[in-house]
Amino acid sequence: MTNSTKNQNNQTVILIEHAEAVKQYEKKPDIEIWAAFNRGDEKAFNYIYRFHATAMFEFGIQITNDIGVVQDCIQNIFIYLRRKRGELKEVHSIKAYLFKSLQREIIRKLNKIKSNESKNIDSFEDSFQIELSHETKLIQLEIETEKTLLIEDALNKLTTRQRQAILLLYKEGMSYKEIAEVLEFSEVKSARKLIYRALDSIKSIIETKMFGSHK
Amino acid sequence: MKYNEYKIQHFLSDEFFIQWVVSPDDDNKHFWEKWLSEHPEKRKTVQSAAAIIKAIRYKKNLELSDKTYIDTFENIIKHDHSETDRLQKKSSSSWYIFFSMRKIAASIFIGLICWLGYSVISKSTEEPALTSEISYTTKKNPFGKKSMITLSEGTVIYLNAGSEIKYPREFSDSSRNVTLTGEAFFEVKKDGRPFIVKTDNKIIHVLGTSFNVNQSYTGDVSVALVSGKVRINDELGNQVLLDPKEMLVMKADGGFYKTEFDPLEIIGWKDKHLIFNRNTFEEVKMKIEKWYGVEVKLKGKIKPGWTYTGAYENETLENVLEGIKLTSGFNYKINNKTITISTY
Repeated sequence: MTNSTKNQNNQTVILIEHAEAVKQYEKKPDIEIWAAFNRGDEKAFNYIYRFHATAMFEFGIQITNDIGVVQDCIQNIFIYLRRKRGELKEVHSIKAYLFKSLQREIIRKLNKIKSNESKNIDSFEDSFQIELSHETKLIQLEIETEKTLLIEDALNKLTTRQRQAILLLYKEGMSYKEIAEVLEFSEVKSARKLIYRALDSIKSIIETKMFGSHK
Repeated sequence: MKYNEYKIQHFLSDEFFIQWVVSPDDDNKHFWEKWLSEHPEKRKTVQSAAAIIKAIRYKKNLELSDKTYIDTFENIIKHDHSETDRLQKKSSSSWYIFFSMRKIAASIFIGLICWLGYSVISKSTEEPALTSEISYTTKKNPFGKKSMITLSEGTVIYLNAGSEIKYPREFSDSSRNVTLTGEAFFEVKKDGRPFIVKTDNKIIHVLGTSFNVNQSYTGDVSVALVSGKVRINDELGNQVLLDPKEMLVMKADGGFYKTEFDPLEIIGWKDKHLIFNRNTFEEVKMKIEKWYGVEVKLKGKIKPGWTYTGAYENETLENVLEGIKLTSGFNYKINNKTITISTY
């Protein structure tokens, strides 16, 4: 009992610390936060962890069901980054950088476990499944559940990479530039093309399903 | 292509449009609201595109638990300490984990102290025994009983009925932490160390001040400040500062607001003032049960909109019930610890 109380107090203190860090850094651009972290500023690190750990976890479990692997990979990335402080390169989007690192790390780890060689996210066929939440807006627009299910179905027939790009664009609110970084494209226009092609293949469903009942 | 030629898939791939839907700011809001008012015929298309963007989420829905969040963080920090320790000396593994844990605790507390502008980092870095063995005292009041507790450093705590407080026999050198369930009034002795009250995932952080904390039976938590300054953090990272005469109410559903408060109504209980201020029957029942340690039963129906207002100072249960009877016409019967109120 003594031990659990001690842990609780520690947790309390960590949560306070992280809330402090958010207050100090939330309005600052990523490049500045990253530079502060690189200089050894612990508050900048707390902020980065507080702001991105949860999203990284959510993103990571889309690749694998193994929660332990995701947790280990997140941990290893931050341990690595802390060790490299002082010599880190400039980062413009911390989120894109961390997502890219996490995806790489998870795939590397899974390959080690299963001893197969799959570098490409497209070989993870079940990863990045999309769900259309049926609440709020779609209901207000009188779009019925079965129609949203059809759209959802069409989205889930896309390639893993296309689904991933769509989730990064809409769910994570990333720019094409950031998506290109996560997907390790050398050019931003590749990310654009990926989205265009994905939307192209579902546009007939979206158009008829969204407007069918209003004609 | 111009926006007025856009079809739904064009909106769905337009970065500037998506940005407005996902993270609206002054710039994009201004642009799109103006554009929409000039192109009303596009409203339906725009709404549909926005609805799709907003509805898309991961099918696999698993959140990082607080525990994993903290554990992972601690592992990361522990790692760079263990790295340096390993270089310095080859010590047994359990020792260096223990040692580095202490350093983490120390560095975090130092962070807090700096924020407060205090410099009492005195002897906290020597004996490892400090953080390892903390024994706690728990004080619990049943319904019908209130108590006053004076802590070793001089802080006075009034603990209301049906409440519990837990604190270490001896506080650490760097902070004073207590855990509260229910309601208590604190007169914190200022001594340089922050005083932290934890209740239901809310953290109240103070230095030399007096304030009331109440976790109600509905799950709301309110903090009313009489003097000094307090800071409240919740588990979502929200933070609120209170000035004297302000009260923060945190609803069970996560919403919160600041308000003024009537000191007699909110903290009169510690001086034996039982106050009803336009209370519903349910609230009156709860207050009486808590105050006198009895059970209140209702026979008959309460008119919708019925409330009761009244103030009593150190009164017997009978006198309070007489007072309620006088204004409301209710009858009551006391049978040992059970009160039956009838509305006819």
